[in-house]
Amino acid sequence: MEVLTIAGVKIETLCKNYQVADKQLPVLNGLTAEFPEESITVILGRSGCGKTTLLRILGGLEGYDSGSLTVPHHSKIGMVFQEPRLMPWLTVWKNIVFGLPKGRVSEQAVRALIETVGLSGFEKAYPAQLSGGMQQRAALARALAYDPELILMDEPFAALDYFTRETMQNELIRIYSLQKKSVVFVTHSIDEALLIGQKIFILDHGRAEREFSLSGFPYPRELLSPELIGIKKEIITIMKQRSSL
Amino acid sequence: MKTFWKAVLPVAVLLLLWQAACNMEIWSQYVLPSPQRVFQSFEAMLRDGTLFRHILVSLWRVLSGFSIAFVLAFLLGILAGVHPASAPFYKHIVEFMRNVPPLSLIALLILWFGIGETSKLIIIVLASFFPMFLNIKKGLAACDVKLLEVGRSLNFSETQLFLKIRLPNALPDILVGMRVGLGYSWRAIIGAEMIAASSGLGYLILDAQQMSRSDKVIVGIFVIGLVGFLCDRLFSYAIQKVLHGGVDDSWS
Repeated sequence: MEVLTIAGVKIETLCKNYQVADKQLPVLNGLTAEFPEESITVILGRSGCGKTTLLRILGGLEGYDSGSLTVPHHSKIGMVFQEPRLMPWLTVWKNIVFGLPKGRVSEQAVRALIETVGLSGFEKAYPAQLSGGMQQRAALARALAYDPELILMDEPFAALDYFTRETMQNELIRIYSLQKKSVVFVTHSIDEALLIGQKIFILDHGRAEREFSLSGFPYPRELLSPELIGIKKEIITIMKQRSSL
Repeated sequence: MKTFWKAVLPVAVLLLLWQAACNMEIWSQYVLPSPQRVFQSFEAMLRDGTLFRHILVSLWRVLSGFSIAFVLAFLLGILAGVHPASAPFYKHIVEFMRNVPPLSLIALLILWFGIGETSKLIIIVLASFFPMFLNIKKGLAACDVKLLEVGRSLNFSETQLFLKIRLPNALPDILVGMRVGLGYSWRAIIGAEMIAASSGLGYLILDAQQMSRSDKVIVGIFVIGLVGFLCDRLFSYAIQKVLHGGVDDSWS
């Protein structure tokens, strides 16, 4: 166990309930999972299966009722939310360096980051002047500028159109290939999970229903390849079975 | 340019009607002095400096009272905004005081503090405190939880959350409160000066009335409106600069 906790984030028999109208509603129900370092782990599940709650617990934004969560000591965690959540009163540049202490802003590094997310020329623009996709890219840059060891992403591309979504997925893979960050990515889209994930957890009724390892599939992935189609069919079958229970 | 003429037209029509009424001698010169006579008085008061002296006295009172009120409203607004649970302690007092016109307190204030500057400062503080306090409180308390979570995910301390998210997020409300507060204090000081003062624009009007100089009364009213309008314009310009950084709708 000691070795595993150094390698990444580990959760064991995690339980979390919400109180809804005098009723205890279990969201996470004895979840056990491991999120390896320098890898993109995807948490896949239907709406309301506890994906976001799990991510918020990992990010320290919410507590849990029982179980254990082990995060490597001193590890910096960055978050990209479903919405861009940019500060409307700050320019793109200032939003990106928002989490950095004043003296620790390397102009060159920020410029490189802006280039990576394709926002060059928009440094002085305000969030309201950007499209939804551009705002989401700025939010991604903000999380990356913070230089976290672990990035938690909560359906960050869900609100984007097909093409922007595809660009952003490729962008994430490119950034991951360059910087080798640990990423935990929550989504309800099976295709998205297959495109970017190296490990996929299927979360259902508050438990990790199945785990798939895709680390053997190099990027960029072809969704129509027979192997990925096979995995997709398997995932759909599991998710359908579970939901009909 | 079109907007300029649209703004000038109603003023010109009013002036013409006023002049026509005077020419027809419907009312005596005492009841309705002619525009020329008002302008001549205005010119004379500008030249001998009385107008500026009274404007400066009133402005100085407003600015000092307004500054004191702002500091008080800001400190108490932070307390109330950051700790909404403290509301039961002050809510009823604020609601009670908010509905008491500061001018109704002038008799007591003169009794306690005399007719010097203190009673007038208190009137201004009372007039401008509540809109500023309520807006500052609202702005700080209504901070979007989603933005605060961004700060928490970046490991901000409570002080950083306040200085980097809560406060800038509340800035539009704070500035709107200040703008309303400034307008309120301007109105209150004129009233206070009409009751107990030996200088200021309120006194100028009262003094002119007692001397049966309705032309000077109109000059006083005109200057009060003009100074109030200019202060408000200046403030709204400052708000626009601060909030939007020169960009429209940057504050959603």
